[in-house]
Amino acid sequence: MIFTYIFTAALLIVSLIMQAHTSFDVLRIAGIKPDLLFITIVYCGFSFGSFYGEVTGFIGGILHDAASSSPLGLLTLPKFVIGYVVGFFGRSVFKGTMITVFILLFLASLVKGIITLVLCYIFHEASITSVITVIFPEAFYNALLAPLLFFLFDKIFEKELEREGY
Amino acid sequence: MEFFIRHKSIVVFVVFFLFCIISLSVQTSGMTLSLEGMGRAFVTPFQKGYNGIQQNIRMLWAGFTELGDVRDQLRKTRDKLQHYEAVAEELGEIKKENDRLRKLLDMQKRVQYDSIAAMIISKDPDNWFRTIVVNRGSADGVRVNMPVIAYVGEEKAVAGKVVEVRGSVSVIEPIISTSIKLGVMFQESRFPGLLSGYAANSNFAMIDYINKSAAINLGDVVVTSGQGGIFPQGMLVGKVIRSFVSESSPYQRAIVAPIVNYNQIEEVFIIKKEPDKELVELMGKVE
Repeated sequence: MIFTYIFTAALLIVSLIMQAHTSFDVLRIAGIKPDLLFITIVYCGFSFGSFYGEVTGFIGGILHDAASSSPLGLLTLPKFVIGYVVGFFGRSVFKGTMITVFILLFLASLVKGIITLVLCYIFHEASITSVITVIFPEAFYNALLAPLLFFLFDKIFEKELEREGY
Repeated sequence: MEFFIRHKSIVVFVVFFLFCIISLSVQTSGMTLSLEGMGRAFVTPFQKGYNGIQQNIRMLWAGFTELGDVRDQLRKTRDKLQHYEAVAEELGEIKKENDRLRKLLDMQKRVQYDSIAAMIISKDPDNWFRTIVVNRGSADGVRVNMPVIAYVGEEKAVAGKVVEVRGSVSVIEPIISTSIKLGVMFQESRFPGLLSGYAANSNFAMIDYINKSAAINLGDVVVTSGQGGIFPQGMLVGKVIRSFVSESSPYQRAIVAPIVNYNQIEEVFIIKKEPDKELVELMGKVE
C-alpha cells in the first residue's frame, strides 16, 4: 500500500507542476487547460474507494489552492466531494471502458465546476458566463484526456489493482 | 470509537467539509493566510526546481542548435545598434527641446524608474483564477503594489501588479484578472475609466465608468491614467475591440484587448515604484 501512497503523491505533484508551469501552456486550447490534478483524484476514487478518493481530493485540493490565488478551501471542497462520490460507486459499479471513463469525467467535471461556481458566488465573486467560458470547455477537455490517463494510471498501479481484485 | 472507525469515510468527509467552509468563511484572517503560505512554501521548491532543470536543459540544447541563429541575430543587432545610435542623437535633441517646452509650461519632469527583470515560474494552475508567480521576491527589492510591465516585440505595456511578495518569489495579478482595478484613459480623447478583467478565463479586460459623451472607436489606444497611485501615467495597456452603451447605466463600457497576452507572456519587468501610500490606504478603506 505504501507504493500506492508514494505514486499518488508523485502524480499529484507532477500534475500540479504540469498545470502551473509555462512550458505546458501548449496544453491550453482557447485559454482552457485540463485539470490533470482532478483527473488523478477521480482515478484514485474510482480505483481505491471513497475514503482514498476523498483524502487524495483533499490533499490535492489544498496543494491546488496553495499554488492558485483562490481562497483556501475553494478548490479543495469540490475535489474531495467528487473524490468521495466517485469512490462510492467506483469500479464495482462502472467498468473502466473508454466511453464510461469519458462520461464519468465529463459529469464529474461538470459537477465540480458547478460546486466551484456556487462557492465563488458565496465566498468570492462569480459570473454565470463561467458556465460557458470555463465549466463546459474544461469538462470536455478533461473527459477527452481521461481515457488515455486512466490507461497510463492502470499501468502504474497494475499490482495495486490486482491486489484489490480488479 | 468503533462508530468512527466503521464510518471513517463519512467522518472524514464531514471534517474536511467543515474545514473548507470555516477556512472560506475566515479567509481574510491570519490563520488562512498562514496555511496558504505554508502550502505555497511547499509547492514553490518543486516549481523552482523544475524551472531550474528546464532552463539548464534549454540552455544546453540552445548551445548546440542556436549558434547559427545567434550569428544572424548578432549581425542584425549590430545594424540596429548603428540605426539606434543615429536615433539617440536625434532623441537627445528632442529631449532638450521637450525639457525646454515643459519648463515653459511649468510641468514637472516625468520620473524614470528602475526595473527588475523577472522570469515567470508558474501561472495559476486553475482556469478560474489568473495569477503569475515570478522568480523575484522581497530579497530583490520587490514590494506589494509595484507595477509590472512586459515587452511585446518592441512595445512596452502593462502586465499587472504585484499582490504578494515572499523571499524569492512574488505573485502578480495580471490586468485580465477580475479582481484588479486599474485607472486608465484613452490616449487620444483623454477620457478616463476604470479597467478590470472582463470575465473568468477571458483574455480581455473591460473599462467601466467612461463618460457617455466620449467617442470610442475600434482600435483606440488605452493607457494608464496615473490615478490610483500605483502605475505611472501614460503606460500602454491595450486597444479597444468593442464598446457599448447601456440605457440603464449613466456610463458606457469598452472591451479592451491587452497588448500583453497572458497565455504567451514569459518574462516581465517589475518597476521599482513605491505606491502612493495615502492613495493605496484610501483605496483599501473604500474596498
